[in-house]
Amino acid sequence: MSMATPGIHRIPDYAEIGITSNFSFLRGGSDPRAYVHEASRLGIPVIGLADHNTLAGMVRAWKELDSDKVTRPPKLLIGARIVFIDGTPDILVYPRDRAAYGRLCQLLTRGKRGDDITRIEKGECHLTLADLIDFAEGQLLVLTLPHRFETTKALDVLAQLKASSADGVWLAASLLYRGDDKRRLARLHALAAKADVPLIATNEVLYHHPARRPLQDVLTCIREKTTIEAVGRRLEANAERHLKPAHEMIRLFRDLPEAIAETMRFAARISFSLDQLKYQYPDEPVPPGKTAQQHLEDLTWAGVDKYFGGTIDAKLRTTLNKELALIAELKYAHYFLTVHDIVHYARSQNILCQGRGSAANSAVCYVLGITSVDPTKVDLLFERFISKERLEPPDIDVDFEHSRREEVMQYVYRRYGRHRAAIIATVIHYRPRSAIRDVGKALGLTEDVTAALADTVWGSWGKGLNDMQVRQAGLDPKNAMINLAVELATELIEFPRHLSQHVGGYVLTQDRLDTYVPIGNAAMDDRTFIEWDKDDVDALNMMKVDVLALGMLTCIRKCFDLIDDHKGKRYALATVEQDDPKVYDMLCRGESLGVFQVESRAQMNMLPRLKPRTFYDLVIEVAIVRPGPIQGDMVHPYLRRRNGQEKVSYPSPSPEHGDKDELYKVLHKTLGVPLFQEQAMRIAIEAAKFTSEEANGLRRSMATFRNLGTIGTYEDKLVGNMVARGYSPDFARSCFDQIKGFGSYGFPESHAASFAQLVYISSWLKHYHPDAFCCGLLNSQPMGFYAPAQIVGDARKNGVIVREIDVSHSFAQNTLEEWDGDYCAMRLGFRQIDGFHWLDEDEERLKQVQSSFRGVASATNPESILQHNCGPMDSGLAPSGAPRNDDGEKADWADRIIAARNRKPFTSLEEFARDTGLPKRALILLADADAFRSIGLDRRAALWAVRRLPDDVPLPLFEAATAREQPDENAQPLPEMPRPEQVVADYQTIRLSLKGHPMEFLREMFSRERVVACHTINRDNDRRRVRCAGVVLVRQRPGSAKGVVFMTLEDETGIANIVVWPKVMEQYRKEVMGARLILVEGYIQSSPEGVTHLVAQRMIDRSHDLIGLANGGLSRKHPVPAGPALIEPLNDDRRDHVDAPAQKIRHPRNVRILPPSRDFH
Amino acid sequence: MSTLAGLSPPLRGRVGERGTTDAGVCGLPLSLTLPRKGGGNPPADASLTNEVKQVDIPSVVVAKDHNAILLHAVDEAAIRAGLSIGLPLANARAICPELTVYDADPAADTKTLNDIADWCDRFTPLVALDAPYGLFLDITGCAHLFGGERALLQIVTNALSRRGFAVSAAIAGTSIAARTLTRHVSGKIVAGGEEAQAIAPLPVAALGADDAITSGLRRAGLKTIGDVAARAPHEISARFGAAFTTLLSHALGQGDAPISPRKPLPDYIVEKRFPEPIATDTVIALTLQSLAKMLVAAMDRQGKGARQLEASFFRTDGAVRSIMVETGRPVTKPEMIDRLFRERLDALSDPLDPGFGFDLVRLAAGRTEIVVQQQRDLDTTVHDNDEISALIDRIAARIGGKRVVVHLPLQSHIPERSALALPAQHHLAAATAAAWPERITGEPPLRPLRLFERPEPINVPFATVPDGPPHQFTWRRALHAVVRVEGPERIAMEWWKQEGQSLTRDYFRVEDAEGQRFWIFRDGLYDSELRDEEGQPVPAKWYVHGLFA
Repeated sequence: MSMATPGIHRIPDYAEIGITSNFSFLRGGSDPRAYVHEASRLGIPVIGLADHNTLAGMVRAWKELDSDKVTRPPKLLIGARIVFIDGTPDILVYPRDRAAYGRLCQLLTRGKRGDDITRIEKGECHLTLADLIDFAEGQLLVLTLPHRFETTKALDVLAQLKASSADGVWLAASLLYRGDDKRRLARLHALAAKADVPLIATNEVLYHHPARRPLQDVLTCIREKTTIEAVGRRLEANAERHLKPAHEMIRLFRDLPEAIAETMRFAARISFSLDQLKYQYPDEPVPPGKTAQQHLEDLTWAGVDKYFGGTIDAKLRTTLNKELALIAELKYAHYFLTVHDIVHYARSQNILCQGRGSAANSAVCYVLGITSVDPTKVDLLFERFISKERLEPPDIDVDFEHSRREEVMQYVYRRYGRHRAAIIATVIHYRPRSAIRDVGKALGLTEDVTAALADTVWGSWGKGLNDMQVRQAGLDPKNAMINLAVELATELIEFPRHLSQHVGGYVLTQDRLDTYVPIGNAAMDDRTFIEWDKDDVDALNMMKVDVLALGMLTCIRKCFDLIDDHKGKRYALATVEQDDPKVYDMLCRGESLGVFQVESRAQMNMLPRLKPRTFYDLVIEVAIVRPGPIQGDMVHPYLRRRNGQEKVSYPSPSPEHGDKDELYKVLHKTLGVPLFQEQAMRIAIEAAKFTSEEANGLRRSMATFRNLGTIGTYEDKLVGNMVARGYSPDFARSCFDQIKGFGSYGFPESHAASFAQLVYISSWLKHYHPDAFCCGLLNSQPMGFYAPAQIVGDARKNGVIVREIDVSHSFAQNTLEEWDGDYCAMRLGFRQIDGFHWLDEDEERLKQVQSSFRGVASATNPESILQHNCGPMDSGLAPSGAPRNDDGEKADWADRIIAARNRKPFTSLEEFARDTGLPKRALILLADADAFRSIGLDRRAALWAVRRLPDDVPLPLFEAATAREQPDENAQPLPEMPRPEQVVADYQTIRLSLKGHPMEFLREMFSRERVVACHTINRDNDRRRVRCAGVVLVRQRPGSAKGVVFMTLEDETGIANIVVWPKVMEQYRKEVMGARLILVEGYIQSSPEGVTHLVAQRMIDRSHDLIGLANGGLSRKHPVPAGPALIEPLNDDRRDHVDAPAQKIRHPRNVRILPPSRDFH
Repeated sequence: MSTLAGLSPPLRGRVGERGTTDAGVCGLPLSLTLPRKGGGNPPADASLTNEVKQVDIPSVVVAKDHNAILLHAVDEAAIRAGLSIGLPLANARAICPELTVYDADPAADTKTLNDIADWCDRFTPLVALDAPYGLFLDITGCAHLFGGERALLQIVTNALSRRGFAVSAAIAGTSIAARTLTRHVSGKIVAGGEEAQAIAPLPVAALGADDAITSGLRRAGLKTIGDVAARAPHEISARFGAAFTTLLSHALGQGDAPISPRKPLPDYIVEKRFPEPIATDTVIALTLQSLAKMLVAAMDRQGKGARQLEASFFRTDGAVRSIMVETGRPVTKPEMIDRLFRERLDALSDPLDPGFGFDLVRLAAGRTEIVVQQQRDLDTTVHDNDEISALIDRIAARIGGKRVVVHLPLQSHIPERSALALPAQHHLAAATAAAWPERITGEPPLRPLRLFERPEPINVPFATVPDGPPHQFTWRRALHAVVRVEGPERIAMEWWKQEGQSLTRDYFRVEDAEGQRFWIFRDGLYDSELRDEEGQPVPAKWYVHGLFA
């Protein structure tokens, strides 16, 4: 810093201490990083960032100081602008040292979390002057007054601040070109003299450059929820609140130079920098008297005894020793122990979990039980993931059962305490869609226009909107307002919008976490999260543990439990027999419905081509059907090489450029074709000679919309370097394309390996225990790709008997029942009925866990838990004794049915209603789901009878009412419900039917039209012309497929895959996009691997036939319900298609082939 | 008992007399429904007067429902394209990208329905809204005026379809029966007593009961209204409620729910129809005169006088203009009525626009009283006691209404846009109530008392760069030496405005040697804005924008 050199005339300098960044949401108009760059450009020696009650943007600014482009890094002062709720004017708080910084964090934590009495809502901060004074020690306090202020009140505040233990107190002065600037400055001067505090100059900066004024104005409109035409004087009158260089500030304050000089004196007092946050690992898991490393080694060898019976081959022993040595060298033992501790807890609670991520597939993690992927099967280099140079903590994500993850999270809070453990934040940024929405609204464009704009391509690569796209959205490209909106929205992209909690990343500290970073409440009860996100935490080398949720683990656990209950065998992830050829046979046939990760259409098509035979094949299978390999055009080369149609070769540089095997080492496992994210990164490093920093920068620039400008430079560099070193330009370019594809859907090998393990286990379950698999899948819904109808259909095809929902036999969950066939029979449970209330046992268990953590009286009695949740008032008033006729969300209707039938089997509907005390709505739901057959009532009869029951009344009256009610005398019988209508009603109520498929009732008609069944498509000859009809399950247009639409049709015989080429699509757009039931005419195309498609040439919408089936049984309003939306799971650029606005995409499993019944509400 | 004076052939007007409130009057309702498909609910610009253009591009009306934009109404082209009500807009666009989309405007729909109801007043005074898309017309005793029921039905449906509305109409003995028929097919006329027979084959949905009931009946296999009617009523009401049973019996022609007309039926009505529309003032005046005579004659028979009178003018294109007059005492003389209306017509700020002419003029006595004593002279000149408005009126009369203005505050930093000048005669109340930015006591005003409509250029030989004031300036050929100055106040222009200036202004309050205070500004910033294309500085322009007191 060019401070005064003795002897030379001292040039006054200036420190700007009043900067508001865009982390003061919808107030600041520039990113914290932009200020660092602008300060460097203008030569401002010190900048002080003070956002509204937050430190969220600090790490970004601090990290940016190291950027190459910042040639004159300013000194960064870390502070906050405290905005009070008690009417005190804003005060800038800058901690002098580390201890004071801790107090500032604690102050903000108090404001965000509240105390025992009041819980502060997420995103709010409630602070009073008294709170600030509590934490004032070591702080530099700057009072900023509004444009108009009361002298006496200001004096009072200043006096209180001076009396506190603060390091110093200042009064801010600013000249903002308001006309009365000089008069106001004189008043401030007098005030400061009277209070005996120095005046300090600031420009109360809102944006880094004057050109940001329009954006800042728009932010004001968004904040005030108004339009630019109506916002009026709430905007700033001019563009002066930008970062100004020292000479300009000196000129403005020429009448009061001491206010300028004071800024540098102020800055000089502050010695705190984020470098001083010395992170300490928590040492809970280490028993006293041992070092962490010792303990880790002990656990490792104990694990070896457990998994291998103590005898392991020399190779594994060497690997373990090598890994342990590296962990010791980098001092990561604490990290592994912490993860082990969490996993250990989950195991003790019988919660399935599986580690993944860079370090997870190590031998150490295997013997510690963190992962069940046998390290000998996947030859992953440990050093590759724990890099010595980067000195970043290793990364292990642990997936837990999604329904029970919260238990693990609560354990973490309990074990480390809320003052030491919190979830990290995710900064929700403006995306093109949200940006254009908000900007459009602020500029007064109508919702329809902004929606149309949002649905266009624009912004996905940051080029703004071209005329064609505007016209495509049905708008006039000459409209200046639209151009303005697009321009400003482009600027707004990547602005933080709000903070949200990360899905499961925890940061843990040894000492108080709230002295590192403010902690706030999440929207969810019992969750707290810090203000920094993943990257911030990484930058500060803090330890992060990811506790993630995975639905398939829930499903697998449920399957294991069912197998244990009904077949008497207990399995665990690691004890399922590996390498079973029959399991691979099934996958090679493409039978993967319900299987983890490989059940999508694209994966199902890939399986017969790839023909997985080993575990590593599954790893590749998981990774290959992803945007990266597809966009990089790596799939076909790999398949050709694998099938021996192409020679395996490895690209190499010219001899003078080094090792010709440099890529062999990277690519040999994948036959010379890069498939994994780290391979692509590795190529950048090995072949294009990127530094690991650059490689990381490249990866990050792909993941965000903002850094678009830099992509081009990376592209030139990567391709240029590779070509210069003798690689073919084609290869270089496809490597780059692949990295581009990885940007948003990166899939590293280590993750693929962990997932492959679950692919294998779920396939094994599907093959050997289709009964338990189907039941487990249904009980874990919503998850996976398919709807219950397809899951049940698949199980029945595989020989599982499925039984109807019935009040005398069903439980809330789907259950297995004894049967003398190969498998158990499956009984559908009440949970399949839409709208039926039942309690999830996992949720109940969690409530018990939570209340036991809270120290609430033992929660063995579920009723007491319920009452605890409804609060003291409720439980005090709840009637005791009598069963509550409760229609609330908490009610467990299933439980009442089971309790009642355990007392006495049901014989009549009236009895059922009386014994269970269920509300009428529940009875109607059950009747409509045809669940009363065991007491002799079919759907129609049951509904007719139920409707006659009186509406819900208190119990004693209910008794009287039923007694009074007599059966209809001489009532004529209702017409019998025809079978097609039964099937339709089944689909409407439980989304599947065991009685038939709607298509089978149309079969005769279709046969006359020479329409073939779907399953024949898959067996028919290539090129044959056929007509086929079915209900539309899925429409997909993968981005990699160049406009081709894939449709999946279903009829009573199975599924047919339709390919629609763009030309045909244009002609039959209405049919493709709108039909529920479609007739397709075309020719069959089958690949040598037996993957068969019907290529569409003509299509006819036959939805009316489907509607006709129900014979008026469908509701009036929506005769043709919306069909499945077009989904494009492989494509990040779905904004490319007007047809498929991203947020409207419905998952196929949620698609109804028939609309729900409208009997209620 | 609903009676009609038999003296009224269609084109001579008729006198209706409100019957005593007899129960069991069997009206003959005509139900009109404007379905939300096939051109119904036209976009806001297609009012009753404009015919909707026949175009092939499908258009739809959308409404927001739980964050999803759904189709609310569709036209024929959209139906052909496979779109239906309730479909999400995104899906509709996917099926048919060239869609024209309008936002639903329930207020405009209601207005349109009311306009149609106004138009229907020409057929019967008893018009009831059947919201949101239907109307009931009680045509008891009116049909013959239009050539019978079938002819009336034709007139109504043709006229409405010509204007681009999809319309479904039916006549039946009860309103519910008629409405039920319109849900199924248009143009049906069912004689009293035959409702049950006509309605039985219709699907239950035609009853318009709520969805729960409709689908409940279908689930039970009762798919037509006849199926339901065949069950014992107690069976139905035990399950679907008494309200539904009532609805059913009304639909079957057993009893009827009374319709509630939009307007209370006037005590007396006289009207005149014209085969050729009339348009000239003279004819209109003559018509009113003769109607007044007829009205007084009718009232006189029962010894009554009018307290409230309404003249309605039905234009051939469907628009209706009504003028209401209230009197302090009952009026019993035709000339009095005539005079009252003449005064009102003369005083109208917008004259009675006959367009292509009126084909029906109606005079109604809304409220009448028994006349007890002899009518005194009655002249109701309205006195407005507000003296300011009286003053404004007088000045306006002399110099013109547009020249007397009041100011309303506007939300803008730009001085000339921070107030709006409006004719005082119309906006006095708003101006009195307006809230202006507060001024701090003890501080000098930042805005001049008098702001020029257009800033006037001044000549400034020299000013300090970059943001200093001039030392002297010439305005209107007089030289002013600046002795005191405050500023600058920097005001940047509104960047989102498409037209107009874009330069930032630096305003100064200056005082010259004579003590005159000016509000002057420099247009543009030296550093950034006052540069030419080569980056060379261009001289600044200065203006005076106002004068302080």
